[in-house]
Amino acid sequence: MTAAPARWRTRAFVRAGALYLALIAMAWCALLPILWALAGSVKKQSEVTTPTLIPRNPQWSNYRAVFAEMPFARMFLNTIVYAGCITAGQVFFCSLAGYAFARLRFPGRDVLFVAYLATLMVPLTVTVVPQFVLIRILGWTDTPWALIVPSVFGSAFGTYLMRQFFRTLPIELEEAAIIDGCSPWQVYRRVLLPNAKPAVMVLAVLTWVNVWNDFLWPLVMIQRQDISTVTLGLVWMQGQYVSNWPVLMAASMLILLPLLLIYALAQKAFVRGIALSGIGGR
Amino acid sequence: MARRQARAARLFIAPNLVAVAVFLVFPLGFSLYLSFQQWDMFGPIRFTGLGNFRRLLTSDPLFTIALRNTIVFTLGTLIPTVSISLVVAATLNRGVRGTGFFRTVMFLPLAISSVVMAVIWRFVFDTNNGLLNMMLGRLGIGPVPWLVDPRWAMVSVCLVSVWKSIPFATIVLLAAMQGVPADLYEAAKIDGAGAIRRFASITLPLIRGALSFVFVISIIDSVQAFDQIYVLTGGHGGPETGTYVFGIMIFQNAFAFGDAGYASAIAWLIFVVLLALTVAQLWFARKNSADR
Repeated sequence: MTAAPARWRTRAFVRAGALYLALIAMAWCALLPILWALAGSVKKQSEVTTPTLIPRNPQWSNYRAVFAEMPFARMFLNTIVYAGCITAGQVFFCSLAGYAFARLRFPGRDVLFVAYLATLMVPLTVTVVPQFVLIRILGWTDTPWALIVPSVFGSAFGTYLMRQFFRTLPIELEEAAIIDGCSPWQVYRRVLLPNAKPAVMVLAVLTWVNVWNDFLWPLVMIQRQDISTVTLGLVWMQGQYVSNWPVLMAASMLILLPLLLIYALAQKAFVRGIALSGIGGR
Repeated sequence: MARRQARAARLFIAPNLVAVAVFLVFPLGFSLYLSFQQWDMFGPIRFTGLGNFRRLLTSDPLFTIALRNTIVFTLGTLIPTVSISLVVAATLNRGVRGTGFFRTVMFLPLAISSVVMAVIWRFVFDTNNGLLNMMLGRLGIGPVPWLVDPRWAMVSVCLVSVWKSIPFATIVLLAAMQGVPADLYEAAKIDGAGAIRRFASITLPLIRGALSFVFVISIIDSVQAFDQIYVLTGGHGGPETGTYVFGIMIFQNAFAFGDAGYASAIAWLIFVVLLALTVAQLWFARKNSADR
């Protein structure tokens, strides 16, 4: 009877050790390709063939080479401008429409909302051809408008996200404002929007990440390097410098870094947003 | 008052509604229209009725290849993703100290674009200098032609997609696992059920909803996969069409061959199949919850 607790303790200890070992192994699998790429980005071309994670003498010049071989600085700036415009537009127009769907009464509201939900099912591959044709008719092919305009006025997904959030806010919040004679716009601007920070964060992070990572749409729309996004630039670079791995990895790390920063800062919102976005089906 | 509200609401929704209508609903309808036409995107549009679909289903040898590859890719991604995510989620769900740190690290691939991820993995797959072949070399296994051999190319593409989709599946499954009431486990423990038994007869049935959701999302994602395959094995579907999937087929027909009608027909065929799958899943889930 007296020996039992000690044995339990040993067993619990072994079990915890196995658990941590499993966790470390899983984390290592998730991380290793990224670490390998990071190491590769500061290796010499001749050192790439050695299986070391810590290069003997780091070649930071690889990062300089990225900007020498393509107008990468310009591409970064472009992507920041595109992502900034679209994120601002999405947050504004989606929260406005989401507020209307959540709190205002108007004829046809529910039918329209169901139609919105249905469009969430539409994959990009189905609409990419006619969207391309539409942009060509508008004369925007190979211009920044092709990347910005289709998303800047909001999306069905963003509206859905904001509506779901606004519905969770207590109605008492706006009652006082309505009694004081606030217009719907004032209620939105002064009462609901300031209370929607978590949802705005989620939408902003998701939108920013989507624009930053988008590939198929820029690929079919853009040919000019000076208006290209970084992702597209990376693929062009890959085609040109087929196995100049150190420089390619340096470019990858540069594109990755801003998103890792956002991820670190907004991990909770990001993860929650992804769990939420799953509901939509995309 | 009500009138004023309705007017404000219309105003608030208008910009968003116009954007969704012009850039999503109209293209959707237009692509359905195009799927019955023949059009090179420049000349006149010609009606062909079911011609595109007939050609697709009966006389295009690439359709069979794309279909087979897409199915292989979907299964090769879905099965490992779901089973590994279940293990990862169950491990994270133990809630030991430091789980937060491990969760952050393991969800890291979520933040990486599929293009950057694919470029990084090309480096890992490199036949001569790649990490994988160096590790295998140490074990005495000869260099594997990861992206060069058609069969291995498909394995590589699946491997990358699994690595990329595990975090999302894990989040969904973990969230569901955390909703399972703890007293159920306590009761089972008292009845003498071991960890595996508890997992199989309590956890799995109670997260069935999340599980089927992960299934459907994974299938939808795999059938539409484009970015990672384009970057890993090129826009022509890899070595000897080894990774020629539907995403590549649509892209190639539309933007390399300029056959807008045919590309739209392929896209719609896939869309309808996916829609049917999703509806079936929803119906199935509802039926199951009605039973309980």
